[in-house]
Amino acid sequence: MILYEFEGKQLLSQAGLAVPKSQLLTDPDQSLNLTSPFVLKAQVLSGKRAEAGGIVKITNNLDQRSLRETSNKQIQNLFEKTINGEKVNQVLVEELIEFEKEYYISISYDTDTRSPVINLSSQGGTGIEDRGVKTFTVDLLNLDKSLSEVKTDIPLEVLKKLVNLFLDQDCILLEVNPLVKTSDNNFMALDAKVKLDEGALGRHPEWKYPPRSVPGHNPTDHEIAAKKIDEGDYRGTAGSTYFDLDGDIAVLTSGGGGSLTALDALIKVGGHPADYTEYSGNPPKEKVEKLTKIVLSKPGINGLWVVGAIANLTDIYETLSGFMEGLRNAQTELKTKFDFPIVIRRAGPRDDEAFKMLKEVKDFDLHLYGTEISITESAKIMADLAQKYAQKKGQTDVAA
Amino acid sequence: MLKRKVKQMLLLKAGARIIGQGITGFQGSTELPWMLDYGTQIVAGVTPKKGGQELNGLPIFNTVKEAVEMVGPIDGSVIYVPPLYAKAAALEALEAGLKWVLILPEKVPAKDGAEIYALAQKYQASIIGPSSVGIICPEKKIKIGSIGGSQPERSFVAGQVAVVSKSGGMTQETSLHLKSHGLGVSWAVGIGGDRIIGTDFVDFLLELEDDPITKASVIFGELGGTYEERVAEYVKSGKIKKPIVAFIGGEFTLKLPSEVQFGHAGAIIEGERGKPDYKRLVLRDAGVLVAEEFDDISDLVKEVI
Repeated sequence: MILYEFEGKQLLSQAGLAVPKSQLLTDPDQSLNLTSPFVLKAQVLSGKRAEAGGIVKITNNLDQRSLRETSNKQIQNLFEKTINGEKVNQVLVEELIEFEKEYYISISYDTDTRSPVINLSSQGGTGIEDRGVKTFTVDLLNLDKSLSEVKTDIPLEVLKKLVNLFLDQDCILLEVNPLVKTSDNNFMALDAKVKLDEGALGRHPEWKYPPRSVPGHNPTDHEIAAKKIDEGDYRGTAGSTYFDLDGDIAVLTSGGGGSLTALDALIKVGGHPADYTEYSGNPPKEKVEKLTKIVLSKPGINGLWVVGAIANLTDIYETLSGFMEGLRNAQTELKTKFDFPIVIRRAGPRDDEAFKMLKEVKDFDLHLYGTEISITESAKIMADLAQKYAQKKGQTDVAA
Repeated sequence: MLKRKVKQMLLLKAGARIIGQGITGFQGSTELPWMLDYGTQIVAGVTPKKGGQELNGLPIFNTVKEAVEMVGPIDGSVIYVPPLYAKAAALEALEAGLKWVLILPEKVPAKDGAEIYALAQKYQASIIGPSSVGIICPEKKIKIGSIGGSQPERSFVAGQVAVVSKSGGMTQETSLHLKSHGLGVSWAVGIGGDRIIGTDFVDFLLELEDDPITKASVIFGELGGTYEERVAEYVKSGKIKKPIVAFIGGEFTLKLPSEVQFGHAGAIIEGERGKPDYKRLVLRDAGVLVAEEFDDISDLVKEVI
């Protein structure tokens, strides 16, 4: 989960690192309790915010009245903005900090060394990709020693606080750009980009951040609803990742790798998926039921594909029972009749019982397959059936 | 004098004696009979406060150390504990002198994953996972973990092709695909789709170089990280010589916002890193046979064995 700048700065501040004095505005008409000069910063998750006009400096060279008018106007402007696809709902007002030197620092996990790494540059600011960045490996079993070997004029004490925050808070990214040295020789974080490891949620009861999507993307209602399925229930997973796509084939996949293989295959044979989502790890049927309803609750569906690799452990009878319940409940709740083709390609524990149950189903257009066909072959069958259904309906192909 | 590091082998010998940490829980007790039926030598279980009990005729001990003292030489451990306890369980196994550990739980935090990897280096041990589905070797009658569930023979038949996969489901699907086309597996292993894993493709492929059963390998990779890119480097520099067929999932994700995690914790594109098309490019450039379609894998394998 990625944090907004103000949330990241709260963590930095709790870890004993200096951040500018600030006020968070959640409403453009909120009164300001900071005095100028200050900087207004739109709170969005995506980078390149400055280039998009999301950061405005308010200086002192104005009389009181025009100062108030200017800042009010700028705040209104920011709240009306959409930055890299994200609506601005919060603005952080911060005292303007004069500094002597700026640095870039980020801590993250590196799959080459399979350890945390510190990326450092003695130049901060935007366009960091093009500047000289040095990488240092953090040895988790000899933390102090590895930090003392980092060549930088950032004080060791500051470095330690940052690395400890990264580790203690289970971050997968902690980026401060810029970290600045002020005229009185203090180090201060002027920005913060923090990503938390959702796998560590169980040991951080204090993480109470509202749901959010990813940078540059406003979550849809479906995405928010799907994400809620796993909340507070650790038995398997369903809907943790959900994306609305613009096609006409609803897709319910199983397994991380299987879901990727399936979507790639469907697109290759000319099918148009209406969503990406997956369930895995043997979830209870209630979770599959909920996810099925979400997948089906959009207009213009010409087919439904239930697909996965042959499961090692996921109970096919349990999960497909949940699927059937979701299918029936969605139909009732939406007061509609699902007459589009439904292609199921599943195999694994208790698949015999599952298919016996599904063969009795007469009120849906089910096409049942096990391991006698591959994922790719079932993608072709699904795409063809959906196209025929769309033609019969007289509906034009959504992607045409 | 510098000591030469000799790392424990990942590829277990026939009859390897294994213990199960947390095996008395729901998943462990479900899977234990499946492993025993296959012929795997599971010789003890370890669950704190359950020492003295028995499970399927298996003695249960409170600690790994106790198990080692009581049942004699142990070749490895399979870990069934909940994700937030996986690191402590792995450390306990290493401190008790075990050199081979397989970690099944998913959702182990990245920090713990990195620490587990560092510990494996320190103790010169082999750790597979976290998020491993398990490992199977039909010829040696070894099946450790969830792999193949209760019916491993549906997908895994003895053969000459190793399957190394980030995805548990696709470990089995790939083996099934090989079986449907008259091929079998020497070893099939789920290395896990986490950000930080104890054994990556290269670690496994390097050992397969010396494995007499394996003639070629199939790797199932996906978006995220650099483990596939490392395979390309090792093939290019000639350290891995046996033929490899690779399939990389997740092409469609390039059309979606980046920074999204697709299923596995490590399946994420960050900046320019982890793009599936780039992985395919560098693998092909290094001489790895890259399957465009999943169903093409067996034909490509047949070209090289």
